[in-house]
Amino acid sequence: MLLRIGGVSLGLLFSVNLWSQQSDTLSGTGNEIVVTATKTERKISSVAVPVTIISQQRILQAGSLRLNDILQEQTGLFLTAAFGSGVQMQGLNPDYTLILIDGEPLIGRTGGVLDLKRITVGNIKQIEIVKGPSSSLYGSEAMAGVINIITDKPKSNALKFSLRYGSFNTADLSLNGSIRKNNFTYQGFGNFYKTDGFSIRPNSSERAIAPIERFTQQHNFSYRFNNKTVLSINLRLNNESIKNIISVNNNGTIIQSEGLEKNKDLNTTVQLSHRLNEKITNNTRIYATEFSAEQQLLTSNGTPYTDFFKQRFARAENQTDFTLNKKLSLTTGAGYIIETANSTRYDKSSNTKTNRIGYAFIQSEWKPTDAFTIVAGARYDHNELFAAAFSPKLAFQYKFNPKFSLKASIGRGFKAPDFRQLYLNFTNTAAGSYSVFGTVEAQKIIAELNRIGQISSLESDYYRLSELKPEFATGINIGLSYNPITPLSITANIFSNTIENLIDSRLVAYKTGGAQIFSYLNVKHAFTKGIETDIKYALSKKWSLAGGYQFLLTGDKDEINRINNGQVFTRDANGFSSKLKRSEYVGLANRSKHMANFRVQFEQQNYFANLRLIYRSKWAVSDKDGNGLFNTNDAFADGFIQVNMATGKNFNKGIRVQAGCDNILNYTDVLNLPNLPGRTFYFTLAYTFLNTKTKQ
Amino acid sequence: MKKAIWVIGFMAVLAACSKDDKGTGSIPVETITVKDLAADTIIGITPGAPPTGGMPFGAGKYSFYSLESNQMVASSDSASNKWDIAFRGTSIITNSGNRGPAAGGAFVYIGLFSDLKTIPKDSSFKVENAPTAFAIPSGSNRGWYVYDGLNNLINPIPGRVLVIRTASGKYAKVEILNYYKGGITPAASASDAIKTNTQRYYTFRFSYQSNGSTTF
Repeated sequence: MLLRIGGVSLGLLFSVNLWSQQSDTLSGTGNEIVVTATKTERKISSVAVPVTIISQQRILQAGSLRLNDILQEQTGLFLTAAFGSGVQMQGLNPDYTLILIDGEPLIGRTGGVLDLKRITVGNIKQIEIVKGPSSSLYGSEAMAGVINIITDKPKSNALKFSLRYGSFNTADLSLNGSIRKNNFTYQGFGNFYKTDGFSIRPNSSERAIAPIERFTQQHNFSYRFNNKTVLSINLRLNNESIKNIISVNNNGTIIQSEGLEKNKDLNTTVQLSHRLNEKITNNTRIYATEFSAEQQLLTSNGTPYTDFFKQRFARAENQTDFTLNKKLSLTTGAGYIIETANSTRYDKSSNTKTNRIGYAFIQSEWKPTDAFTIVAGARYDHNELFAAAFSPKLAFQYKFNPKFSLKASIGRGFKAPDFRQLYLNFTNTAAGSYSVFGTVEAQKIIAELNRIGQISSLESDYYRLSELKPEFATGINIGLSYNPITPLSITANIFSNTIENLIDSRLVAYKTGGAQIFSYLNVKHAFTKGIETDIKYALSKKWSLAGGYQFLLTGDKDEINRINNGQVFTRDANGFSSKLKRSEYVGLANRSKHMANFRVQFEQQNYFANLRLIYRSKWAVSDKDGNGLFNTNDAFADGFIQVNMATGKNFNKGIRVQAGCDNILNYTDVLNLPNLPGRTFYFTLAYTFLNTKTKQ
Repeated sequence: MKKAIWVIGFMAVLAACSKDDKGTGSIPVETITVKDLAADTIIGITPGAPPTGGMPFGAGKYSFYSLESNQMVASSDSASNKWDIAFRGTSIITNSGNRGPAAGGAFVYIGLFSDLKTIPKDSSFKVENAPTAFAIPSGSNRGWYVYDGLNNLINPIPGRVLVIRTASGKYAKVEILNYYKGGITPAASASDAIKTNTQRYYTFRFSYQSNGSTTF
């Protein structure tokens, strides 16, 4: 995130033997540098909050293409399948994990989900995952945690390409290049991805994954004025075009509709980094990003339908890091954000919705002894459209000895109401003409409909409509790490998140004719808690094992209160109503109580092979007994194991080949996992034309 | 629900269990299960595609039922006091107000069928007092059912008892058990054709208090 001024060596990225030296968090020495946890460069071993680093080597060896591919193999992360591929962290919905590229937030969420398939892994140096509320540094959305993608910026003259081809005509081509001349550095990256898509539903022309073409390019220029000042400019552009064939079976007659969806992501950053002296570093960053999505649907016998959404986000931020002495350092910053959105799903697409946010944060890190670190920080966000948010955080780490350390943190995270929850003005004429109005619109529109006699009844929730408040979470993480012997490392983390003011859509009124009107309210009080653990063991220089497990409990406090008060019912074997017992309650939908992963890896010189298992226990999918919450009588998706494998070899002269097979067991679930194809294969060829290390 | 041994057809008497320890002199109240009451079943689908077409429809006729005599009532008797409740799709009406000549009515009690031993004194019975007003609220999650839009299924809400004031001013309690033929809700993965063809068949159980008291 911060420019690495004469700091960390990035040279090993282009070492010829890419497989051998790098390591991920668990096998690491603790010397890997992580920036996301504190917004400053720190050794991972000295960070007081739960952090995972996924290395470039790990991404390559898993044969990943898009960000979701590699994240699904991480302990405690589950990839959801609605509105693209979102990540569920510590049991919280994808809405509550902030996704950053080089420290800058990505925007453009649909239904709260940021589709991780928009992000190629072709130029990632490492992925940093910070769990637990991090709003004290990052503001909105960093409620469950933060995923920061650090892109590869080699400081050498290099040129390499990689080509992968696999099942469903899925092709992925990446080109990386960098030039270093005197004080000027340029890095360029291009990635082209296409797939024919697939459907596992028999006899269906609709595809769970539609044919997609994506083109991502990223350019980074940096100029070093002197040893103290560096300017860098970063551009990223991602274009997606998706073809959808939608068929509606109408009494035996199939009506085909052709849809075309175009998504565009543009990110630009200008950063000036200046080191005033040994103790003070200042960073000024201007970031502007735009996400636009356009959907066109042409029915063979109908009128064309267009759906359009555009979001813009611009931010100026200044951050100063003070290293006061060996024991005390301080980070302060302030920024201003302007965010706008236009959509055909708002009152008028020409009406731009705007929110402005001013914020400031401060964080201090104090090391009273070598073994003890305390980090305290807070951030204040002032919003134009809704209530302000104050997010404090306190974390500490204590190293009992070189083998054993303990970390604990407590923090507050928030997520601001999004434009959809404020301004949506959408009526679904294809499905019963129900309407969903954002809270700003709802009272206005319903009052007007009521005046002209189009409302048949106002529900009790209508009278509870008010200014939306941000959703808040308080997260506690207590973790330990234990390295009894060099080849064995064990980490465990207990977490607890209490979420208040959760925004949920509620029925607020009925139109005459029975159509329902929904809006958004701060109504729910949810919790997630559990434990996650990772164990890594190197059997020998060639063989290593790694395993991870997460146990998760979730629930809604109001639902539990209603159950305890005997107000919730289910049905017995005769179909008669019975009172729901607390033990029958399963908590939030789409959560597995048990998730695990296991990896066996073999490495010898330039050759590697691995086998990776991902397990997920059953999860609730729909409310079969109609009581409005999830209990053992409802519909569940079966638990399953996915097994992936990959093998590869580096040849001299910069040639690398790799082949893999994902989902070897060919597990499919048409109803609940439409995005999981059966067994797939791929082959990768990569070639490094040029790699000249330059002198600093 | 397959385990339940029911006699198919109307008038399947399951149990006669009532507690009458209050000594009011009332006769024991039977609980009767009615299965597969056809309520305006689907006869076709409108031409075209949604939103203008593609909607399944029935003949538009209510199925009338007498709780007192535990039998169907011909629709030619719809303007009489012979029926107590009637079914059409998800709509359930009482013989009152705009829908019938009698002084019927109903309200939805939240709780267990077996726990409703006496109708609370402060209960207020609603009547069909306008063309669009229902004594038993219509619509998903308002009265007796919830619509699962994801799987296109109608599920009766558990813990809902329809307390009915009959055409003759007596009281009955009704629990809707299922909305599909044979009392079995199709699987979520079932085809639309199965979901369409098996819906609008009510399975319900009821107790009718013939002595006019509010105790079951």
